[in-house]
Amino acid sequence: MPIFRSGEIKIAALLCTVLMTALGPRIAGATLGEPEITVQSDVAQLRASIKSSEDRVGYRIHEIQLPGGTLLREFVAPDGKVFAVAWNGASKPDLRQALGKYFDALVSAPKLKFADHRHLQIQQGDLIVQAGGRMRAGFYGRAYLASAIPSGVNLGDLH
Amino acid sequence: MVLMRALRIALGAALCLAAISCGGSGGSGTSSPPPPPPPPPTSNVAAVIVDQGPSNQSVNALFTSVTVCVPGSTSCQTIDRIQVDTGSYGLRLLAPPLTLTLPVETFANGNSLVECTQFADGFSWGSVVTADIQIAGETAKSLPLQVIGDSRFPTIPAVCSGTGIEEDSVKAFGANGILGIGPFEFSCGDCDTNTHSSNPVYYACGTTCVATLVPTAMQEPNPVTRFAADNNGSIVDLPSVASTGAVTLSGSLIFGIDTQSNNKSGTQTVLTVDQNAELVMTFNGQTLAKSFIDSGSNAIFFADGNIAPCMTTDTGFYCPGNTLTLGPLSIQGQNGVMVNNLTFGVGNAQTMLQTNPNFNVLPELAGTLPTGLTGTFDYGLAFFYGKRVAVAVEGKTTSVGTGPYIAF
Repeated sequence: MPIFRSGEIKIAALLCTVLMTALGPRIAGATLGEPEITVQSDVAQLRASIKSSEDRVGYRIHEIQLPGGTLLREFVAPDGKVFAVAWNGASKPDLRQALGKYFDALVSAPKLKFADHRHLQIQQGDLIVQAGGRMRAGFYGRAYLASAIPSGVNLGDLH
Repeated sequence: MVLMRALRIALGAALCLAAISCGGSGGSGTSSPPPPPPPPPTSNVAAVIVDQGPSNQSVNALFTSVTVCVPGSTSCQTIDRIQVDTGSYGLRLLAPPLTLTLPVETFANGNSLVECTQFADGFSWGSVVTADIQIAGETAKSLPLQVIGDSRFPTIPAVCSGTGIEEDSVKAFGANGILGIGPFEFSCGDCDTNTHSSNPVYYACGTTCVATLVPTAMQEPNPVTRFAADNNGSIVDLPSVASTGAVTLSGSLIFGIDTQSNNKSGTQTVLTVDQNAELVMTFNGQTLAKSFIDSGSNAIFFADGNIAPCMTTDTGFYCPGNTLTLGPLSIQGQNGVMVNNLTFGVGNAQTMLQTNPNFNVLPELAGTLPTGLTGTFDYGLAFFYGKRVAVAVEGKTTSVGTGPYIAF
Protein backbone atom coordinates (compact mmCIF):
# COMPACT_ATOMS: atom_id res chain seq x y z
CA MET A 1 0.00 0.00 0.00
CA PRO A 2 1.71 3.20 -1.12
CA ILE A 3 1.94 5.81 1.58
CA PHE A 4 1.78 8.72 -0.87
CA ARG A 5 -0.30 9.11 -3.99
CA SER A 6 1.51 9.88 -7.21
CA GLY A 7 -0.73 12.89 -7.83
CA GLU A 8 0.39 14.35 -4.54
CA ILE A 9 4.01 13.84 -5.49
CA LYS A 10 3.57 15.70 -8.76
CA ILE A 11 1.80 18.63 -7.11
CA ALA A 12 4.38 18.76 -4.35
CA ALA A 13 7.21 18.57 -6.86
CA LEU A 14 5.68 21.38 -8.92
CA LEU A 15 5.19 23.52 -5.83
CA CYS A 16 8.73 22.86 -4.79
CA THR A 17 10.05 23.80 -8.21
CA VAL A 18 8.16 27.09 -8.03
CA LEU A 19 9.42 27.67 -4.49
CA MET A 20 12.96 26.80 -5.44
CA THR A 21 12.90 29.18 -8.37
CA ALA A 22 11.67 31.92 -6.07
CA LEU A 23 13.93 31.23 -3.13
CA GLY A 24 16.91 29.70 -4.87
CA PRO A 25 19.88 28.90 -2.70
CA ARG A 26 18.36 30.61 0.33
CA ILE A 27 16.64 27.31 1.19
CA ALA A 28 19.10 25.59 3.45
CA GLY A 29 20.82 22.63 1.91
CA ALA A 30 19.68 19.68 3.92
CA THR A 31 18.41 16.22 3.55
CA LEU A 32 19.36 13.45 5.98
CA GLY A 33 17.09 13.87 8.99
CA GLU A 34 15.20 16.70 7.27
CA PRO A 35 11.71 16.88 5.73
CA GLU A 36 11.06 15.47 2.28
CA ILE A 37 10.90 18.95 0.75
CA THR A 38 14.67 19.19 1.14
CA VAL A 39 15.05 16.52 -1.52
CA GLN A 40 14.10 19.32 -3.89
CA SER A 41 16.74 21.64 -2.48
CA ASP A 42 19.30 18.91 -3.02
CA VAL A 43 18.21 18.61 -6.62
CA ALA A 44 18.62 22.37 -7.09
CA GLN A 45 21.88 22.68 -5.19
CA LEU A 46 23.41 19.73 -7.00
CA ARG A 47 22.12 20.91 -10.40
CA ALA A 48 20.62 17.46 -10.68
CA SER A 49 17.29 16.00 -11.74
CA ILE A 50 14.89 13.58 -10.11
CA LYS A 51 15.03 10.47 -12.21
CA SER A 52 12.25 8.65 -10.41
CA SER A 53 10.21 8.57 -7.24
CA GLU A 54 8.90 5.26 -6.07
CA ASP A 55 6.80 4.12 -3.14
CA ARG A 56 7.99 0.99 -1.39
CA VAL A 57 6.40 -0.74 1.57
CA GLY A 58 7.14 1.53 4.49
CA TYR A 59 9.13 4.24 2.69
CA ARG A 60 9.58 6.22 -0.53
CA ILE A 61 12.70 6.56 -2.70
CA HIS A 62 13.66 9.61 -4.71
CA GLU A 63 16.36 8.80 -7.22
CA ILE A 64 18.43 11.85 -8.14
CA GLN A 65 20.64 11.84 -11.22
CA LEU A 66 23.72 14.02 -10.73
CA PRO A 67 25.27 15.74 -13.76
CA GLY A 68 28.32 13.49 -13.66
CA GLY A 69 26.13 10.39 -13.83
CA THR A 70 26.27 9.40 -10.17
CA LEU A 71 22.93 8.33 -8.69
CA LEU A 72 21.91 9.65 -5.30
CA ARG A 73 18.90 8.01 -3.65
CA GLU A 74 17.08 9.56 -0.73
CA PHE A 75 14.82 7.43 1.45
CA VAL A 76 11.78 9.05 3.08
CA ALA A 77 10.00 7.54 6.08
CA PRO A 78 6.21 7.75 6.64
CA ASP A 79 6.86 10.67 9.04
CA GLY A 80 8.07 12.62 6.00
CA LYS A 81 11.74 12.75 6.99
CA VAL A 82 14.73 11.53 5.05
CA PHE A 83 16.18 8.64 7.06
CA ALA A 84 18.83 7.43 4.61
CA VAL A 85 20.75 8.42 1.48
CA ALA A 86 22.70 6.09 -0.80
CA TRP A 87 24.95 6.72 -3.79
CA ASN A 88 26.59 4.86 -6.62
CA GLY A 89 28.62 6.14 -9.54
CA ALA A 90 31.92 7.17 -11.06
CA SER A 91 32.43 9.92 -8.48
CA LYS A 92 31.18 10.55 -4.99
CA PRO A 93 28.32 13.01 -4.47
CA ASP A 94 28.56 16.21 -2.45
CA LEU A 95 27.93 14.69 0.96
CA ARG A 96 27.90 18.10 2.62
CA GLN A 97 24.67 18.66 0.74
CA ALA A 98 23.27 15.16 1.04
CA LEU A 99 24.08 14.69 4.73
CA GLY A 100 23.17 18.22 5.76
CA LYS A 101 23.71 18.77 9.46
CA TYR A 102 25.23 15.29 9.81
CA PHE A 103 28.15 16.07 7.51
CA ASP A 104 30.19 17.51 10.39
CA ALA A 105 29.72 14.26 12.32
CA LEU A 106 31.13 12.36 9.34
CA VAL A 107 34.25 14.47 8.89
CA SER A 108 34.98 14.76 12.61
CA ALA A 109 34.67 11.02 13.25
CA PRO A 110 37.86 9.53 14.67
CA LYS A 111 39.80 7.64 12.03
CA LEU A 112 39.45 3.92 12.49
CA LYS A 113 42.63 2.13 13.36
CA PHE A 114 43.74 -0.07 10.47
CA ALA A 115 41.81 1.85 7.81
CA ASP A 116 42.59 1.57 4.10
CA HIS A 117 41.56 3.74 1.16
CA ARG A 118 38.91 1.37 -0.18
CA HIS A 119 36.42 1.32 2.66
CA LEU A 120 34.74 3.63 5.12
CA GLN A 121 32.72 2.67 8.15
CA ILE A 122 31.65 5.44 10.52
CA GLN A 123 29.35 5.35 13.52
CA GLN A 124 28.90 8.71 15.22
CA GLY A 125 25.93 8.73 17.54
CA ASP A 126 22.88 7.97 15.42
CA LEU A 127 24.73 8.41 12.11
CA ILE A 128 26.10 5.38 10.31
CA VAL A 129 28.09 5.73 7.08
CA GLN A 130 29.24 2.76 5.02
CA ALA A 131 31.09 3.33 1.78
CA GLY A 132 33.57 1.81 -0.60
CA GLY A 133 35.00 1.88 -4.10
CA ARG A 134 38.06 2.94 -6.01
CA MET A 135 39.27 4.89 -9.01
CA ARG A 136 37.86 3.84 -12.39
CA ALA A 137 35.45 1.30 -10.87
CA GLY A 138 33.51 4.02 -9.03
CA PHE A 139 32.19 4.60 -5.55
CA TYR A 140 29.18 3.47 -3.53
CA GLY A 141 27.90 4.15 -0.08
CA ARG A 142 25.05 4.91 2.23
CA ALA A 143 24.42 7.06 5.28
CA TYR A 144 21.49 6.50 7.60
CA LEU A 145 20.11 7.41 10.97
CA ALA A 146 19.91 4.18 12.93
CA SER A 147 17.00 5.26 15.09
CA ALA A 148 14.96 6.58 12.16
CA ILE A 149 14.76 3.44 10.04
CA PRO A 150 11.06 2.60 9.73
CA SER A 151 10.11 -0.76 11.20
CA GLY A 152 10.24 -3.58 8.71
CA VAL A 153 12.76 -1.85 6.43
CA ASN A 154 15.75 -4.03 5.61
CA LEU A 155 19.19 -2.37 5.61
CA GLY A 156 20.05 -4.33 2.50
CA ASP A 157 17.32 -2.42 0.64
CA LEU A 158 19.01 0.92 1.26
CA HIS A 159 21.07 1.13 -1.89
CA MET B 1 53.03 -19.04 -35.29
CA VAL B 2 56.41 -19.70 -36.85
CA LEU B 3 57.23 -16.01 -36.65
CA MET B 4 56.13 -15.86 -33.01
CA ARG B 5 58.26 -18.86 -32.17
CA ALA B 6 61.24 -17.32 -33.92
CA LEU B 7 60.71 -14.08 -32.00
CA ARG B 8 60.48 -15.97 -28.73
CA ILE B 9 63.66 -17.87 -29.49
CA ALA B 10 65.41 -14.65 -30.44
CA LEU B 11 64.18 -12.95 -27.26
CA GLY B 12 65.23 -15.93 -25.19
CA ALA B 13 68.68 -15.89 -26.75
CA ALA B 14 69.02 -12.16 -26.12
CA LEU B 15 67.96 -12.54 -22.49
CA CYS B 16 70.36 -15.46 -22.11
CA LEU B 17 73.22 -13.35 -23.45
CA ALA B 18 72.24 -10.49 -21.19
CA ALA B 19 72.18 -12.80 -18.19
CA ILE B 20 75.59 -14.25 -19.06
CA SER B 21 77.14 -10.82 -19.54
CA CYS B 22 75.59 -9.61 -16.29
CA GLY B 23 76.84 -12.67 -14.45
CA GLY B 24 80.29 -12.09 -15.88
CA SER B 25 80.50 -8.47 -14.82
CA GLY B 26 79.29 -9.35 -11.35
CA GLY B 27 81.85 -12.14 -10.97
CA SER B 28 85.53 -12.07 -10.18
CA GLY B 29 86.17 -9.16 -12.51
CA THR B 30 89.47 -10.65 -13.65
CA SER B 31 88.36 -11.44 -17.22
CA SER B 32 89.07 -8.72 -19.77
CA PRO B 33 85.90 -6.89 -20.83
CA PRO B 34 84.71 -7.74 -24.35
CA PRO B 35 84.69 -4.78 -26.71
CA PRO B 36 82.11 -3.27 -27.01
CA PRO B 37 80.51 -4.05 -23.64
CA PRO B 38 76.77 -4.75 -23.85
CA PRO B 39 74.67 -2.47 -21.68
CA PRO B 40 73.83 -4.15 -18.38
CA PRO B 41 70.12 -4.84 -17.84
CA THR B 42 68.35 -2.20 -15.81
CA SER B 43 67.95 -3.15 -12.18
CA ASN B 44 64.21 -3.75 -12.07
CA VAL B 45 63.71 -4.99 -8.51
CA ALA B 46 62.55 -2.68 -5.73
CA ALA B 47 62.44 -3.88 -2.14
CA VAL B 48 58.99 -3.85 -0.57
CA ILE B 49 57.88 -4.42 3.01
CA VAL B 50 54.65 -4.90 4.90
CA ASP B 51 55.01 -3.00 8.16
CA GLN B 52 53.28 -0.53 10.47
CA GLY B 53 53.73 2.37 8.06
CA PRO B 54 54.49 5.99 8.97
CA SER B 55 51.15 6.42 10.76
CA ASN B 56 51.98 3.40 12.93
CA GLN B 57 48.44 2.20 12.20
CA SER B 58 48.84 0.10 9.09
CA VAL B 59 48.05 -3.56 8.72
CA ASN B 60 48.51 -5.52 5.50
CA ALA B 61 49.89 -2.44 3.75
CA LEU B 62 52.83 -2.78 1.34
CA PHE B 63 55.48 -0.05 1.11
CA THR B 64 58.44 0.82 -1.08
CA SER B 65 60.81 3.77 -1.67
CA VAL B 66 60.85 6.24 -4.55
CA THR B 67 63.54 8.77 -5.46
CA VAL B 68 62.22 12.04 -6.88
CA CYS B 69 64.27 14.82 -8.43
CA VAL B 70 63.53 18.32 -9.66
CA PRO B 71 63.32 17.71 -13.43
CA GLY B 72 66.68 17.86 -15.17
CA SER B 73 68.58 18.41 -11.95
CA THR B 74 70.54 16.44 -9.37
CA SER B 75 68.38 17.88 -6.61
CA CYS B 76 66.84 14.62 -5.41
CA GLN B 77 65.18 13.03 -2.41
CA THR B 78 64.40 9.43 -1.60
CA ILE B 79 61.08 8.95 0.17
CA ASP B 80 60.23 5.67 1.87
CA ARG B 81 56.90 4.28 3.06
CA ILE B 82 55.20 4.84 -0.29
CA GLN B 83 52.26 2.44 -0.44
CA VAL B 84 52.29 0.01 -3.36
CA ASP B 85 48.74 -0.02 -4.72
CA THR B 86 47.54 -2.20 -7.59
CA GLY B 87 44.09 -0.61 -7.22
CA SER B 88 44.97 2.95 -8.19
CA TYR B 89 46.98 4.74 -10.87
CA GLY B 90 49.71 7.32 -10.62
CA LEU B 91 52.28 8.45 -8.07
CA ARG B 92 51.06 10.66 -5.23
CA LEU B 93 53.36 12.10 -2.56
CA LEU B 94 52.36 13.72 0.71
CA ALA B 95 53.73 17.27 0.86
CA PRO B 96 55.08 17.29 4.45
CA PRO B 97 57.87 14.71 3.92
CA LEU B 98 58.77 16.24 0.55
CA THR B 99 61.61 18.75 0.89
CA LEU B 100 61.95 19.51 -2.83
CA THR B 101 59.98 22.24 -4.57
CA LEU B 102 58.62 20.56 -7.68
CA PRO B 103 57.26 22.62 -10.59
CA VAL B 104 53.46 22.68 -10.86
CA GLU B 105 51.95 21.90 -14.24
CA THR B 106 50.33 24.98 -15.74
CA PHE B 107 47.93 25.70 -18.57
CA ALA B 108 48.66 28.18 -21.38
CA ASN B 109 46.91 30.94 -19.40
CA GLY B 110 49.17 30.36 -16.42
CA ASN B 111 46.60 28.59 -14.24
CA SER B 112 47.89 25.67 -12.20
CA LEU B 113 46.64 22.09 -12.36
CA VAL B 114 45.34 20.87 -8.99
CA GLU B 115 43.55 17.59 -8.30
CA CYS B 116 40.81 16.47 -5.95
CA THR B 117 41.66 12.79 -5.67
CA GLN B 118 38.79 10.61 -4.57
CA PHE B 119 39.25 7.65 -2.32
CA ALA B 120 36.41 5.68 -0.78
CA ASP B 121 37.33 6.88 2.69
CA GLY B 122 37.98 10.53 1.85
CA PHE B 123 39.70 12.87 -0.57
CA SER B 124 43.17 14.30 -1.12
CA TRP B 125 43.76 17.79 -2.52
CA GLY B 126 46.99 18.84 -4.13
CA SER B 127 48.86 20.07 -7.17
CA VAL B 128 50.00 18.06 -10.15
CA VAL B 129 53.74 18.59 -10.57
CA THR B 130 56.50 17.03 -12.63
CA ALA B 131 59.58 15.22 -11.37
CA ASP B 132 62.24 12.85 -12.61
CA ILE B 133 61.69 9.69 -10.63
CA GLN B 134 63.66 6.54 -9.97
CA ILE B 135 62.49 3.26 -8.45
CA ALA B 136 65.13 0.53 -8.31
CA GLY B 137 67.04 1.20 -11.55
CA GLU B 138 63.95 2.34 -13.45
CA THR B 139 63.64 5.98 -14.37
CA ALA B 140 60.92 8.24 -15.73
CA LYS B 141 61.72 11.81 -16.74
CA SER B 142 59.32 14.72 -16.13
CA LEU B 143 56.65 12.42 -14.77
CA PRO B 144 53.39 14.10 -13.76
CA LEU B 145 52.58 13.22 -10.15
CA GLN B 146 50.44 14.67 -7.39
CA VAL B 147 51.69 16.49 -4.30
CA ILE B 148 48.94 15.93 -1.73
CA GLY B 149 48.49 18.80 0.70
CA ASP B 150 50.70 21.17 -1.32
CA SER B 151 50.75 24.37 0.76
CA ARG B 152 50.88 26.46 -2.43
CA PHE B 153 47.17 25.62 -2.93
CA PRO B 154 45.59 25.79 0.52
CA THR B 155 42.00 26.53 -0.50
CA ILE B 156 39.98 23.40 -1.17
CA PRO B 157 36.90 23.89 -3.37
CA ALA B 158 33.70 23.21 -1.42
CA VAL B 159 32.59 20.50 -3.85
CA CYS B 160 35.87 18.66 -3.22
CA SER B 161 35.81 18.94 0.57
CA GLY B 162 32.13 18.00 0.42
CA THR B 163 33.01 14.45 -0.57
CA GLY B 164 34.12 13.58 2.95
CA ILE B 165 37.16 13.29 5.11
CA GLU B 166 40.31 15.24 4.19
CA GLU B 167 43.41 13.04 3.93
CA ASP B 168 46.18 15.54 3.31
CA SER B 169 48.55 14.61 6.16
CA VAL B 170 50.74 11.53 6.53
CA LYS B 171 48.76 10.49 9.58
CA ALA B 172 45.40 10.84 7.85
CA PHE B 173 46.67 9.27 4.63
CA GLY B 174 48.57 6.43 6.31
CA ALA B 175 51.61 6.66 4.02
CA ASN B 176 54.20 9.11 2.70
CA GLY B 177 52.69 8.57 -0.72
CA ILE B 178 51.02 6.00 -2.90
CA LEU B 179 52.36 4.28 -6.01
CA GLY B 180 49.38 3.37 -8.18
CA ILE B 181 50.45 0.55 -10.49
CA GLY B 182 47.11 -1.00 -11.42
CA PRO B 183 46.38 -2.46 -14.86
CA PHE B 184 45.52 0.87 -16.52
CA GLU B 185 47.43 3.99 -17.48
CA PHE B 186 45.26 6.66 -15.85
CA SER B 187 43.02 6.94 -12.81
CA CYS B 188 40.46 8.91 -14.79
CA GLY B 189 39.38 7.34 -18.04
CA ASP B 190 37.87 10.46 -19.62
CA CYS B 191 39.16 13.59 -17.85
CA ASP B 192 40.47 14.89 -21.18
CA THR B 193 36.89 15.19 -22.45
CA ASN B 194 34.72 15.32 -19.29
CA THR B 195 35.08 17.79 -16.41
CA HIS B 196 32.86 15.62 -14.15
CA SER B 197 31.08 18.83 -13.24
CA SER B 198 29.12 17.45 -10.26
CA ASN B 199 32.36 16.44 -8.62
CA PRO B 200 35.43 17.40 -10.64
CA VAL B 201 38.73 15.57 -10.35
CA TYR B 202 40.87 18.28 -11.95
CA TYR B 203 40.82 22.01 -11.32
CA ALA B 204 42.57 24.94 -13.01
CA CYS B 205 43.58 27.27 -10.21
CA GLY B 206 44.32 30.95 -10.63
CA THR B 207 42.72 33.40 -8.25
CA THR B 208 40.01 30.73 -7.87
CA CYS B 209 39.81 27.08 -8.85
CA VAL B 210 37.43 25.91 -11.58
CA ALA B 211 36.80 22.46 -13.04
CA THR B 212 38.85 21.81 -16.14
CA LEU B 213 39.55 19.34 -18.89
CA VAL B 214 43.08 17.98 -18.78
CA PRO B 215 45.04 16.54 -21.72
CA THR B 216 46.27 13.03 -20.87
CA ALA B 217 49.86 14.22 -21.22
CA MET B 218 49.31 16.37 -18.11
CA GLN B 219 47.52 13.69 -16.05
CA GLU B 220 49.49 11.50 -13.63
CA PRO B 221 50.02 8.18 -15.34
CA ASN B 222 50.82 4.82 -13.81
CA PRO B 223 54.59 5.47 -13.52
CA VAL B 224 55.48 2.02 -14.84
CA THR B 225 54.12 3.01 -18.24
CA ARG B 226 56.65 5.87 -18.35
CA PHE B 227 59.75 3.86 -17.54
CA ALA B 228 62.31 3.79 -20.31
CA ALA B 229 62.27 -0.03 -20.09
CA ASP B 230 60.27 -2.73 -18.31
CA ASN B 231 57.14 -0.68 -18.85
CA ASN B 232 54.43 -3.24 -19.64
CA GLY B 233 53.53 -4.09 -16.06
CA SER B 234 54.90 -5.21 -12.74
CA ILE B 235 55.10 -8.21 -10.46
CA VAL B 236 54.56 -8.23 -6.69
CA ASP B 237 56.53 -11.13 -5.25
CA LEU B 238 55.94 -11.85 -1.56
CA PRO B 239 56.90 -14.88 0.52
CA SER B 240 54.30 -16.86 2.40
CA VAL B 241 53.57 -16.10 6.02
CA ALA B 242 52.19 -18.11 8.94
CA SER B 243 48.40 -18.01 9.17
CA THR B 244 48.74 -16.28 12.53
CA GLY B 245 50.72 -13.49 10.89
CA ALA B 246 54.06 -11.75 11.40
CA VAL B 247 55.54 -8.41 12.43
CA THR B 248 56.80 -7.63 8.92
CA LEU B 249 57.11 -9.30 5.54
CA SER B 250 59.73 -8.39 2.94
CA GLY B 251 59.57 -9.06 -0.77
CA SER B 252 60.13 -7.63 -4.22
CA LEU B 253 58.39 -5.37 -6.66
CA ILE B 254 59.69 -6.40 -10.08
CA PHE B 255 59.12 -4.11 -13.06
CA GLY B 256 58.35 -5.45 -16.50
CA ILE B 257 56.89 -8.78 -17.55
CA ASP B 258 58.95 -10.99 -19.89
CA THR B 259 61.46 -8.20 -20.35
CA GLN B 260 64.32 -9.65 -18.31
CA SER B 261 65.41 -13.01 -16.95
CA ASN B 262 63.82 -12.32 -13.56
CA ASN B 263 60.30 -11.49 -14.74
CA LYS B 264 59.47 -14.28 -17.15
CA SER B 265 55.93 -15.56 -17.37
CA GLY B 266 55.59 -19.23 -16.61
CA THR B 267 52.56 -21.44 -16.25
CA GLN B 268 50.54 -19.05 -14.15
CA THR B 269 46.88 -18.31 -14.67
CA VAL B 270 46.12 -15.16 -16.65
CA LEU B 271 42.84 -13.40 -15.83
CA THR B 272 41.98 -10.38 -17.92
CA VAL B 273 40.07 -7.63 -16.13
CA ASP B 274 37.30 -5.40 -17.46
CA GLN B 275 37.35 -1.61 -17.93
CA ASN B 276 36.74 -1.23 -14.19
CA ALA B 277 39.69 -3.53 -13.39
CA GLU B 278 37.17 -6.04 -12.09
CA LEU B 279 36.82 -9.81 -12.09
CA VAL B 280 33.86 -12.09 -11.44
CA MET B 281 34.13 -14.02 -8.19
CA THR B 282 31.70 -16.65 -6.97
CA PHE B 283 31.33 -17.13 -3.23
CA ASN B 284 28.59 -18.38 -0.92
CA GLY B 285 26.49 -19.18 -3.98
CA GLN B 286 26.61 -15.53 -5.11
CA THR B 287 28.07 -14.30 -8.37
CA LEU B 288 29.91 -11.10 -7.52
CA ALA B 289 30.60 -9.29 -10.79
CA LYS B 290 32.37 -6.26 -9.27
CA SER B 291 35.16 -8.19 -7.55
CA PHE B 292 38.87 -7.49 -7.56
CA ILE B 293 42.31 -8.43 -6.25
CA ASP B 294 43.96 -5.36 -4.73
CA SER B 295 47.21 -4.74 -2.87
CA GLY B 296 45.64 -1.53 -1.53
CA SER B 297 42.93 -3.35 0.44
CA ASN B 298 44.09 -4.32 3.90
CA ALA B 299 41.84 -7.34 4.43
CA ILE B 300 39.64 -9.86 2.62
CA PHE B 301 36.34 -8.01 2.24
CA PHE B 302 32.99 -9.65 1.57
CA ALA B 303 29.42 -9.56 2.84
CA ASP B 304 28.32 -12.52 4.94
CA GLY B 305 25.56 -11.99 7.46
CA ASN B 306 26.33 -15.32 9.11
CA ILE B 307 29.74 -14.27 10.41
CA ALA B 308 29.85 -12.05 13.48
CA PRO B 309 31.26 -8.59 12.80
CA CYS B 310 33.45 -6.97 15.47
CA MET B 311 31.24 -4.80 17.64
CA THR B 312 33.07 -2.45 19.97
CA THR B 313 36.53 -2.06 18.47
CA ASP B 314 37.84 -2.94 15.04
CA THR B 315 34.42 -2.35 13.52
CA GLY B 316 34.41 -3.17 9.85
CA PHE B 317 36.26 -6.44 10.43
CA TYR B 318 34.92 -9.90 11.23
CA CYS B 319 35.16 -11.43 14.69
CA PRO B 320 34.05 -15.07 14.44
CA GLY B 321 34.21 -17.21 17.60
CA ASN B 322 36.71 -19.56 15.97
CA THR B 323 38.96 -19.20 12.97
CA LEU B 324 36.97 -20.21 9.91
CA THR B 325 38.11 -21.77 6.67
CA LEU B 326 35.83 -20.41 3.95
CA GLY B 327 35.31 -21.45 0.38
CA PRO B 328 35.05 -22.46 -2.30
CA LEU B 329 35.86 -19.17 -3.95
CA SER B 330 36.19 -19.02 -7.71
CA ILE B 331 37.70 -16.18 -9.73
CA GLN B 332 36.92 -15.67 -13.39
CA GLY B 333 38.56 -13.29 -15.84
CA GLN B 334 37.02 -11.54 -18.83
CA ASN B 335 38.86 -14.07 -20.96
CA GLY B 336 36.74 -16.83 -19.42
CA VAL B 337 39.67 -18.36 -17.54
CA MET B 338 38.61 -19.55 -14.11
CA VAL B 339 40.40 -20.42 -10.89
CA ASN B 340 38.25 -22.68 -8.74
CA ASN B 341 38.06 -24.05 -5.24
CA LEU B 342 40.13 -21.44 -3.44
CA THR B 343 39.79 -21.36 0.32
CA PHE B 344 40.89 -18.76 2.85
CA GLY B 345 41.00 -18.38 6.61
CA VAL B 346 39.05 -15.80 8.59
CA GLY B 347 40.25 -15.14 12.12
CA ASN B 348 38.82 -13.03 14.91
CA ALA B 349 40.18 -9.54 14.25
CA GLN B 350 40.01 -8.41 17.87
CA THR B 351 41.78 -11.54 19.09
CA MET B 352 44.46 -11.24 16.40
CA LEU B 353 45.12 -7.58 17.06
CA GLN B 354 45.17 -8.04 20.84
CA THR B 355 47.23 -11.24 20.91
CA ASN B 356 50.00 -9.81 18.74
CA PRO B 357 49.58 -6.05 18.76
CA ASN B 358 52.89 -5.59 16.91
CA PHE B 359 51.86 -7.81 13.97
CA ASN B 360 51.36 -5.87 10.75
CA VAL B 361 50.97 -8.93 8.53
CA LEU B 362 47.64 -10.67 9.18
CA PRO B 363 46.62 -12.99 6.34
CA GLU B 364 43.37 -14.03 8.05
CA LEU B 365 42.07 -10.52 8.66
CA ALA B 366 38.71 -10.18 6.92
CA GLY B 367 36.35 -7.25 6.65
CA THR B 368 32.67 -6.63 6.11
CA LEU B 369 31.02 -5.07 3.08
CA PRO B 370 27.61 -3.46 3.47
CA THR B 371 24.85 -5.75 2.26
CA GLY B 372 22.97 -4.76 -0.85
CA LEU B 373 25.33 -1.95 -1.86
CA THR B 374 27.77 -3.75 -4.10
CA GLY B 375 28.32 -7.17 -5.67
CA THR B 376 31.93 -7.27 -4.60
CA PHE B 377 34.49 -9.66 -3.20
CA ASP B 378 37.60 -7.59 -2.49
CA TYR B 379 40.63 -9.83 -2.01
CA GLY B 380 43.25 -7.58 -0.46
CA LEU B 381 46.98 -7.84 0.12
CA ALA B 382 46.58 -11.27 1.77
CA PHE B 383 46.03 -12.66 -1.72
CA PHE B 384 49.61 -11.68 -2.61
CA TYR B 385 51.24 -13.51 0.33
CA GLY B 386 53.18 -16.51 -0.96
CA LYS B 387 52.61 -15.58 -4.60
CA ARG B 388 54.11 -13.81 -7.59
CA VAL B 389 51.27 -11.67 -8.87
CA ALA B 390 51.76 -9.95 -12.23
CA VAL B 391 49.72 -6.92 -13.27
CA ALA B 392 49.90 -6.15 -16.99
CA VAL B 393 48.86 -2.71 -18.19
CA GLU B 394 46.12 -2.15 -20.77
CA GLY B 395 47.29 -2.60 -24.33
CA LYS B 396 50.70 -3.91 -23.30
CA THR B 397 51.76 -7.35 -24.47
CA THR B 398 53.65 -10.06 -22.64
CA SER B 399 54.45 -13.61 -23.71
CA VAL B 400 51.16 -14.84 -22.22
CA GLY B 401 48.70 -12.15 -23.20
CA THR B 402 47.77 -8.51 -23.47
CA GLY B 403 46.80 -6.29 -20.56
CA PRO B 404 44.78 -5.36 -18.67
CA TYR B 405 45.31 -8.60 -16.82
CA ILE B 406 46.35 -10.05 -13.50
CA ALA B 407 48.28 -13.32 -13.42
CA PHE B 408 49.42 -15.55 -10.56
